[in-house]
Amino acid sequence: MTNHKLIIDVKNVSKVFSDGTLALDNVSLSVKKNEVVVLIGPSGSGKSTLLRTLNLLESPTKGEVFFDGISLTDETTDINLLRQKMGMVFQGFHLFPHLSVLDNLRIAPVSLKKLSIHEATITSESMLKKVGLLDKAKNYPNQLSGGQKQRIAIARSLTMSPEIMLFDEPTSALDPEMVGEVLNVMRELALQGMTMVIVTHEMQFAEEVADIVYVMDKGQIIESGSPEIIFHQPQTERCKEFLKRVIEKK
Amino acid sequence: MDFSFLLDPYYINILLQGLLTTVILAVVSVAFGTVIAIGVALLRMMKSKIIRFILGAYVEIIRGTPIVVQLIIFYSLFHVKVILVGSYDLSPFIPGMFTLFINSSAYMAEVIRAGINSVDKGQWEASRSLGMTYGMTFRKIIFPQAIKNILPALGNEFVTLIKETSVLMYSGVAELTYQATMIKSQTYGFMESYLVAATFYFLLTYPTSQLMKRLERRLAKSDQS
Ligand SMILES: Nc1ncnc2c1ncn2[C@@H]1O[C@H](COP(=O)(O)OP(=O)(O)OP(=O)(O)O)[C@@H](O)[C@H]1O
Ligand SMILES: [Mg+2]
Repeated sequence: MTNHKLIIDVKNVSKVFSDGTLALDNVSLSVKKNEVVVLIGPSGSGKSTLLRTLNLLESPTKGEVFFDGISLTDETTDINLLRQKMGMVFQGFHLFPHLSVLDNLRIAPVSLKKLSIHEATITSESMLKKVGLLDKAKNYPNQLSGGQKQRIAIARSLTMSPEIMLFDEPTSALDPEMVGEVLNVMRELALQGMTMVIVTHEMQFAEEVADIVYVMDKGQIIESGSPEIIFHQPQTERCKEFLKRVIEKK
Repeated sequence: MDFSFLLDPYYINILLQGLLTTVILAVVSVAFGTVIAIGVALLRMMKSKIIRFILGAYVEIIRGTPIVVQLIIFYSLFHVKVILVGSYDLSPFIPGMFTLFINSSAYMAEVIRAGINSVDKGQWEASRSLGMTYGMTFRKIIFPQAIKNILPALGNEFVTLIKETSVLMYSGVAELTYQATMIKSQTYGFMESYLVAATFYFLLTYPTSQLMKRLERRLAKSDQS
């Protein structure tokens, strides 16, 4: 990797929910430009919470998160402006059901970047082409299959030209036959150098696209390293244990 | 049974005036009530715990007490002197309208709040994660979805309100029930005059609720498109 610019820097972040759950326990991690980071770990280990602190959908109880060197929680930080540069894709798609596919893509750039409808349409259509769904521009979300919805959700984030894309189990809500089409879009993004943080249970995919894998358990990062190391020579007992369980399930 | 008073233009006139007053009361109350309710519902979404508590208490207390009792309290609170418009004394309207505004606003605030809350939390998150502000998200993403749940429920509130305007007879407003009482005392047709009033109320509420059902179905359908 030639460019070592830090995009995300998480410093000693802990998160305690209002009910007392310790979801993140002193977590640190950084993401460099063009890097693909994958978070894995058992259910409830804090993967989603960590991902959501990256764009402040959850605010850390302790510690700090930096994006392009700017602290998210600093009082002078305009979080809305930073979020424009961070795309997020959810397990449940969350397309806007009252808007057509095209409007789902156009609404943010038109509202936020003050693009004309015409400019926004051009950008949106090129993103739809990218995910192979240009022919669905006039459709409404509930006319789409799960895989199509998720590809639209990815395209929706891309219209803001983000510096980084965050994925929270983007294929977990999909029927098995639709997983591939979404992973293909993500693979393509990785090839084009998009910086990504991906929470996933798709271990094969993780091994294939990740530059670095973080393994979480009980709110902590218990191990991190290249996919070769993590998946073939895990160092810690907890990590070995987790991977064994995942593979047995398959 | 003797319905012959229905052939007398004098009584017909009294009834129609009552009917008109009832319709005006209901329409004006639903309009003002909605405006207050939107304010209350929006303020209840604010971060301030004190504001949320006060407005929550407002909604619960109004919804948890009978409208007749509210009317009597406001009536004795206001002590309105005579307000003549032409030869017409508007003073009984003041506590009455006030009661209807307050009452309908509390019910509608709850309807609006429920409608907004019924929109999936993921919609907020998706929109905010694109960088849209709280206000933009509310206006462009949440409210257009919430309105589909809110409108039919508001329609039902309107139907309820048409019936509840009848409590204003206690404060001397010449609405439909009041007029029926007058006719009763002049014709001694106890049952008859109230049967006529009931029929008039039903002629107002039934078409309204049918219209609302239609609207509800239309809105539900537009979701499938
Ligand atoms: N809003 C919340 N309020 C309270 N506790 C929460 C909340 N969100 C998550 N938690 C708790 O925090 C812990 C971490 O949850 P998180 O969703 O981050 O796990 P996860 O690794 O993403 O799990 P999964 O693989 O099931 O998605 C869990 O114990 C969870 O129950
Ligand atoms: Mg999760």
